[in-house]
Amino acid sequence: MRTDVSGRVDQLRDDFDRSFAQPARTLDGDSIELLAVGAGGRPYALRLSQASGVHPDRPVTALPTTVRALLGVAGFAGTVVPVYDLAALLGHSIGQRPRWLLLTAGTPPLALAFHELDRHLRVPLGDVVTASTDDDGQRGCLQGLVRLPDGDRPIIDVSAVRALVHQLAGHQPVPEEIR
Amino acid sequence: MMAGRTFGGKLAFGVGITVLLTLLTIVTSVLGLVFVVNSKDAAIASATEDLTRAENLKSLMEARIADYRAYLLVPSDENAQLTAANHTEFRQQLDELKRTLTDAEIQQLLTQIAGIDDTHAAAVAKMMAVRKADPDASSIKIITDMNATEVAPVRKQLQNALGTLIIRVQALVTADRDAASARATQAIVIIIILGVLTTISASAVAWRLSRDLKRQVGAAVGHIQSSSAELEAAAAQQVSGGRDQASAMSEITTTISELLITSRQIAEAAQRVSKIAEDTESAARNGDSTIDQTRASITAIRSQVDQIVQHMLALGEKSQQIGLVVDLVSELAEQTNILAINATIEASGAGEWGRRFAVVAEEIRKLADRTAASAKEIRALIEDVRGAVNTTVMATEIGAKAVDAGSRQFDAATSSFREIAQLVSTTNEATREIELSTKQQTTAVEQVNVAVSDTARVSRETEASAVQTKQTAAHLSTLSGDLLELVGTGRH
Repeated sequence: MRTDVSGRVDQLRDDFDRSFAQPARTLDGDSIELLAVGAGGRPYALRLSQASGVHPDRPVTALPTTVRALLGVAGFAGTVVPVYDLAALLGHSIGQRPRWLLLTAGTPPLALAFHELDRHLRVPLGDVVTASTDDDGQRGCLQGLVRLPDGDRPIIDVSAVRALVHQLAGHQPVPEEIR
Repeated sequence: MMAGRTFGGKLAFGVGITVLLTLLTIVTSVLGLVFVVNSKDAAIASATEDLTRAENLKSLMEARIADYRAYLLVPSDENAQLTAANHTEFRQQLDELKRTLTDAEIQQLLTQIAGIDDTHAAAVAKMMAVRKADPDASSIKIITDMNATEVAPVRKQLQNALGTLIIRVQALVTADRDAASARATQAIVIIIILGVLTTISASAVAWRLSRDLKRQVGAAVGHIQSSSAELEAAAAQQVSGGRDQASAMSEITTTISELLITSRQIAEAAQRVSKIAEDTESAARNGDSTIDQTRASITAIRSQVDQIVQHMLALGEKSQQIGLVVDLVSELAEQTNILAINATIEASGAGEWGRRFAVVAEEIRKLADRTAASAKEIRALIEDVRGAVNTTVMATEIGAKAVDAGSRQFDAATSSFREIAQLVSTTNEATREIELSTKQQTTAVEQVNVAVSDTARVSRETEASAVQTKQTAAHLSTLSGDLLELVGTGRH
């Protein structure tokens, strides 16, 4: 056990030192950054390019609303952002209160709450299967899936989710985007 | 009457009756003889005395006649005196007869004779007086006349009376003789009857005794004979029983000898057991110090176990604190990870420099992942340690309880051990008593052996005496047969 741990420490130190020895490299375009999350007890993946931040344990102020998925509002760098429950948007029953908030990219600002942050992934593009699912209802929020060693994860299309939120909130997207 | 009496009693009774009858016969015979002799004596007496007196009266009468005739011839005093003397004697004899003879007719006759004699005497006296007065016999004529007229008739009358008396006395004598003869005949008849009765009685007694002798003595002898046979059989059985008893006694003697050997072995074993019990007692006394040392060791173990529990509890607290530190490390790793993710997000929108920064951010994220994984491992290890500590604490508490229980059990064992020591002491005393008792038992068995040997000897003597009894019984049976033949019943 002790030898294993010391070996791992040596390995870690070597890897760390090697990272400084290697020439500076940049990320190539053959891969895609994903965030493996869990919402409503199910595994999903989010494109990191569609997010502008991940925050845990942010206080969410609840609002009186008839929209079931709307958890409330939270403050991000002086901006009040509505927070929607991703599981509810995906049609799952609302269980415990989500811990994590994903601040989406684009305007208007929108935060999606989910339960588990599994890990940060960088997968080759070949592992991502782009398939157009039917557009009916909430299933349209999913766009393809990623093949992982521990199983396939559906990839959530944040723009589609945003559209769904707008639909739920009775928001007129075009004039809003123009303004 | 004789039923139920002994044979000797019966014999005495029969002989007594016979003797009584014989005595009665003898007495009767003697009495009859005496009676006959008296009768004959009376007859002889009447024949001799009375008849003699009667004859004497007649002769005295004749002598008196002669005397006074002589006086008439010669009137001397002598003749006168002789006449008087004869007359006196005549009267004496007459009185004697009157006294002895009781016959009334004779008495009357004697009285008549006395009267006639008086008359005759007076006439004789007158005539003698006449003669006396005429000494010359001149008056002979007168005298002759007187004699013829006065004296002679009276004299003849007197002589006739005397003759009658003699006849009468003779008849009386004859009557007495006949009476005596009749009485003698009666006595003879009575004696004959008594003799016949005696003979009959003796015969009856003899018959009865013979019959009873045959009946009772024969039955008794028969019983004796059968009893002798039974006695012989019993003696035979006794002989065989005595032999069996003698052989059994010899077997018993052998067995008792073996028992004696066994008893001696038991005594030796008891002695050894007593020695072992003494050793056990001393060992038990030595065990007391060992018990005290063991109790001290148990107490030390108890305190050590308590210290172990305290240390394990402290170790649990330390591992909990380590867990808190690990939680802190995990939190830091998570925050680092979030920062790395956000840095990656920020870098993606920052062009080329952003891409290079993204690489650094990825390295940071990897380090954060590794830190989180290591913290997770540490957490698992800490959980293992806590579980092990809990398990150890529980095991130690169980051990402490086990030590307590062991201590209590050791106390119980100690008391049991002391009780055992006490019991061993008691056992030692009991073993000594057993040893002593076994020695006494050995002595008793030796005495029993001697007694059994004596009994065996007595059994052999009993057998010999039974043989002798059997022979005696056989002899008695033979004698009973002989006695039965003697009695006349014959052999059964």
